[in-house]
Amino acid sequence: MEMEKNKLIQFKNIVKDFDGQLVLKGINLDIYENEFVTLLGPSGCGKTTLLRILGGFLDVTEGQVIFDGEDIADLPPYKRELNTVFQKYALFPHMNVYDNIAFGLKIKKMSKDVIEQKVMKMLKLINLEGFEDKDVTLLSGGQQQRIAIARALVNEPKVLLLDEPLAALDLKLRKEMQYELKKIQQEVGITFIYVTHDQEEALTMSDKIVVMKDGEIQQVGTPTDIYNEPENCYVARFIGESNIIPGIMLEDYKVRFDDIDFDCVDFGFKKNEPVDVVIRPEDLDIVKEEEGKMTGVVKSVLFKGVHYEIMVETVPGTTVSVDMQVTQEHDISSSDASEKISANDFYVDIKDMEELNDAEIIARADAQAWSTENDEYISISKIEYDIKEEIGTYPVTFSTSNGTSVTINVFVVKQQYVENPKANEAIAAFNFFKTVDEIKESAALDTDLKTWANAQSWKLSDESDVEISNVEYDFDPDTITAGTYKVTFSTQGREFKIHTTDIAEEGAEVGLSFFPEDIHVMSKIGF
Amino acid sequence: MKTFKRLTIPYIVWITLMIVIPMLLIVFYAFTKTGNDVVSIQFTLEHFQKFFTDPDFLRTLWLSLKIAFITTIICILLGYPVAYAISQCDTKTRNLLILLVTLPMWINMLVRTYAWIGILADNGLISHIFNFFGFEPTKLLYTDFSVILGMVYNFIPFMILQIESSLAKMDKSLLDAANDLGCNRMQRFLNITLPLSLPGVITGITLVFLPAVSSFVIPKLMGGGGYMMIGNVIENQFITVGEWNFGSAISMIMAVIIMISMYITRRLDKGDDGARIRKGGR
Repeated sequence: MEMEKNKLIQFKNIVKDFDGQLVLKGINLDIYENEFVTLLGPSGCGKTTLLRILGGFLDVTEGQVIFDGEDIADLPPYKRELNTVFQKYALFPHMNVYDNIAFGLKIKKMSKDVIEQKVMKMLKLINLEGFEDKDVTLLSGGQQQRIAIARALVNEPKVLLLDEPLAALDLKLRKEMQYELKKIQQEVGITFIYVTHDQEEALTMSDKIVVMKDGEIQQVGTPTDIYNEPENCYVARFIGESNIIPGIMLEDYKVRFDDIDFDCVDFGFKKNEPVDVVIRPEDLDIVKEEEGKMTGVVKSVLFKGVHYEIMVETVPGTTVSVDMQVTQEHDISSSDASEKISANDFYVDIKDMEELNDAEIIARADAQAWSTENDEYISISKIEYDIKEEIGTYPVTFSTSNGTSVTINVFVVKQQYVENPKANEAIAAFNFFKTVDEIKESAALDTDLKTWANAQSWKLSDESDVEISNVEYDFDPDTITAGTYKVTFSTQGREFKIHTTDIAEEGAEVGLSFFPEDIHVMSKIGF
Repeated sequence: MKTFKRLTIPYIVWITLMIVIPMLLIVFYAFTKTGNDVVSIQFTLEHFQKFFTDPDFLRTLWLSLKIAFITTIICILLGYPVAYAISQCDTKTRNLLILLVTLPMWINMLVRTYAWIGILADNGLISHIFNFFGFEPTKLLYTDFSVILGMVYNFIPFMILQIESSLAKMDKSLLDAANDLGCNRMQRFLNITLPLSLPGVITGITLVFLPAVSSFVIPKLMGGGGYMMIGNVIENQFITVGEWNFGSAISMIMAVIIMISMYITRRLDKGDDGARIRKGGR
């Protein structure tokens, strides 16, 4: 059906390079007559650049812009049959409302009564009749915005370009203007190309949305298409809220995620191809545990006005616990008591033995020496050790040039780690030794604990890092004394966000239910 | 906030002592008879009468206004393009060019003016060049031309700086908008850039016309001993003749003329406004 419509603008392989920085990386896009097209993307994605190229304010580095069948690369802005509504309106402050709107017509030397007729028609269209003698600088943001639109439309362009025109308005006004803009577009029946970073604006007004990221088009489609069938997880995340789960496409109409096989309506993937699965929060329902396709525990319930936002954890995170041995001060003083030295015992994985050089040992043992008189650090001049690549305990001696020394133990161990195949994760951490003061002085204890225990978590499939989101411990850092404490590190489990009007109790065991068509399978994109 | 108000007290005392009281004295002198003593004060309008009935004084007044007017026009015609060019440069070049414009002001005005005497004199630099190419030597120094040259040279930086800053302040998206609405470069300049820079031009006019009309050093040096502008007349009355009352009266006349001319300039700016509203309202 769309084929029958007239292609008004064609971007052909547009590349734009700003001082060696690629802002647009080969954009191909067709825009038809009468369309409300939105270029949607975060700031810096190249959407405004593309608009300015079309407006004639920027040259392309490569590629062609075809307008109505003609290449317009060399056409200056004032000869192009399009007009722009600028972000900050750019109304002429030295002219009143009438002269602002009439400006383009006066430049074209139209007769006075034609101009008057057209301007009056525009004022009626934007609902500002009687404002013609007003000073534009004294009008409200919304009124200025509408005058900017009228000033552009009065020239009867084939295309109106709008560069984030509502960004400076408050929320309520923005909603009104969205409605009004759509109405104006339908009334005048020309193509609007609208640039925004606001996905809701895009979904409300557009006939066609172009999702952009890093100078590339991610997806082009109607708002419904883009929302229901996002092509990749970037689009899914940018448009609305979603649950995005890595999975495997077993065969056509069958996808596996979180160790469960589900029926779906997607096809055309390779056998066992890794994919991303999107389920919109509003497509999920909370049911009794035994009726659910998945089960989980309610983690949190938030009231959002019309609906509840409920987080359900279906797969718990991966957890590992280690012992932290806390000792009192253990610095060693020199014979004349003019300097002190201290160091911790530490554990090391036998696999990490190669990395173990002098600097690494000093860092891991946290070896320090200082003068008792002025508290200044003294460098550690000698390290003696004989560590073999075998499991065992080895002494290490640190000394200063004055001969003050401390000896600690290094435990070479085979690292134990916890695997969680259901979540495709593993986690590992070491026991460690610290002094009371070090714990009390820590400014960011969670992060320090992770560093001290060398806690790490990774995906079983590709060994990529997984964030350790939870650190728990059974002591109060302000009142800690010597002893052994448990520190537990864990990753975030699989949580589903659900929008529902039903309420659920926090901590309840529930089932999750959805239809095969609510599962949207997308191929993974490389980053 | 109240406590800060007290900081203005020294300033208020200062301007009262140094500006307000002397001005009141000038008014007092202008309306009293010469040779008053403390006991008998006689008010009179004879000084004003003397000024307006003597054709020599009126001719001097006319000359002063004419020279200042020509100076101002030349400053606009030369300064605007320079200011426009500067405002088109990137920030770094702009700062450098503005520095170059202000640089001569770092040197004492007398010294700069004397340098011009050396250049323009009958056996000066220019007449040597004229001779070299076989032209008739022309009298350059001690003419209207040399006075105007000296004034333009001294006052043009004020004009350039004012216009440049009003151009630089202008929202660049207005230019994009003008292009978008069908203006070519020339139309854009006439419809947008020029009207929006007018406030800068008006301030520039005030800053050039006022010192030009009342200047007495430049006419004295560049115009020669017999060259009289109104500033020189006032200076003479005070210093040579010793007629403080008459001098004060001329100062007052000048003050009134300056106020009127400022009022007219302001109206020119606003007048543009008025015309616009009428046009808009049809």
